[in-house]
Amino acid sequence: MRGFVPILKRELFSLFVTPLAWVVIALFLFYQGFHFMLLVASFAGQGAVSEQGPLQLFLGGTILHYLPILFLCPLLTMRAFSEERRSGTIEALLTAPVTPTAVVFAKYLAALVMYLVMWMPTLAYAWILSRYGGVEMRTVLTAYLSIVLTGMGYVAIGIMTSALTSSQLVAALVSGLTLLALFMASMLESLDPGTLHDIGNYVSISSMMSEFSRGVIDSRRLVFAATLVLLPLFFTVRTVESWRWG
Amino acid sequence: MIEVRNLSKFYGDFHAVRGISFSVQKGEVVGFLGPNGAGKSTTLRILVGFLGATSGEATVNGHSVIDEPLKARECIGYMPEMAPLYPEMRVREYLAFRAELKGVRRGERADAVARSVKDAGLDGREPTLIGELSKGYRQRVALADALVASPPLLILDEPTAGLDPNQIREVRGLIARLAQRKQTILVSTHILSEVEAMCSRAVVIASGKLVAEGTIDELRGKRATGEFRLRVRGDAEEAAALLRAQPGVTSVEIDVSPDALVVKLAATASADDVVEGAVHALVDADLGVLEVGSTQRTLEQIFSDLTADERGIAPKKPKRGSPIPLRSRGGSA
Repeated sequence: MRGFVPILKRELFSLFVTPLAWVVIALFLFYQGFHFMLLVASFAGQGAVSEQGPLQLFLGGTILHYLPILFLCPLLTMRAFSEERRSGTIEALLTAPVTPTAVVFAKYLAALVMYLVMWMPTLAYAWILSRYGGVEMRTVLTAYLSIVLTGMGYVAIGIMTSALTSSQLVAALVSGLTLLALFMASMLESLDPGTLHDIGNYVSISSMMSEFSRGVIDSRRLVFAATLVLLPLFFTVRTVESWRWG
Repeated sequence: MIEVRNLSKFYGDFHAVRGISFSVQKGEVVGFLGPNGAGKSTTLRILVGFLGATSGEATVNGHSVIDEPLKARECIGYMPEMAPLYPEMRVREYLAFRAELKGVRRGERADAVARSVKDAGLDGREPTLIGELSKGYRQRVALADALVASPPLLILDEPTAGLDPNQIREVRGLIARLAQRKQTILVSTHILSEVEAMCSRAVVIASGKLVAEGTIDELRGKRATGEFRLRVRGDAEEAAALLRAQPGVTSVEIDVSPDALVVKLAATASADDVVEGAVHALVDADLGVLEVGSTQRTLEQIFSDLTADERGIAPKKPKRGSPIPLRSRGGSA
């Protein structure tokens, strides 16, 4: 993992120094704020209409929770390798005494940190609600664990697609479509019980979110999340190594 | 410092590097010369571990670039062609990042950056964003990057490509200063005069094959063509007949020039002896010798001839060089 720390620092610097990052953060927080406000207003106006509280609805209870993640992860990762390859800086990077694994994991962790930084201010909503009613902090934490696990997998997929092309746009489109396909696969769980239903349930991010936001942590979900992280990163390392034979 | 043996590289069916072997000793500045597309960058990229070789071996400072890539890379300061850099970083930030990446200790990093900034002529540019620098300065930042960890070997891929004449002179000056410090440098270029200006030795490749290797003096030695020419006053046929009879002269050609008759000799013996004998004979026959000129080739022509076979072109005949004024009895100059 030689070279991991300096590359991670540079990647974080590069992510946070670009105006695009701050625009994305601002839009994301505006969206989440609006989302939260709608839910709270809905509860305030109509009383309790759902078994779930506004916080549980906010954390995976509606489609509005998943939409920004599908767009966000490709945006955070599209530059990782594509831009380095387009500009040629990958040559300077890989001819330094660094290992491909260090390069891949540093870029991955930097994008993941950015993802977490974007979600972090939304913890304030839990704090706000806790001042007016009972909020079970354990379920909030498990719900956020689900957000973290989802991000870990989606960012890994984004990093992988970024290594497959030197075009940022293509990288973003391919990772966006991959995430969308994965999300749509989870709809198979709405079928009658059977193999397809089980597959849909196994890959379903929304089911994971739903379980976690109720405080239920299933080890199968953790195995799936780990697979979603390790498999794309393994392919990314192999892809970076394969450039030597291009 | 560098040992390359039978190095080959295929890109699919394309044979980019064809079994080349050469070495670079410590303290040498070696020019890696070849036309565009000859396989220079591919060879250098194999040496720095960016590309893998299809077959063959390469070692840098005793470390195999295949089996011990990290140790080999630690010994190299590499400047890729076109100097790719991160435009959003400032010069100081970039060099500090590169120093850390190359394993320069935290306490030594500031000194390493300051030294490389000074060596590359970047004083006063440390706070500038790389994206705001001119091409010449970006080239210097890439050179400072190559220097920042004080590697025993510098590999520079076309360091003057795309620069204007002043910037080219500055970069050459930087390399010449490094050479004075006995820094080992392998520098690729397709410009021969660059090799003459900076290097003590050259390795010439064309179409992936090694076509010549030697010191710059040896390369210059290839200029001698075994021919010279004379401009004489009087009957050219008579002069040619006289010269054909001279020892060491194998042939004489008559070339009509605007103001006189030009006699070309192809000599196998010592050129000086043949010239002296020829001038004596012409003067004794009362044929005035106006000019004696060597037909040395320019380095560009040597390079062109060396690489012509690989490009499927017949080597050009040597051009006539400037005539050398020669004092002679009875002859007027």
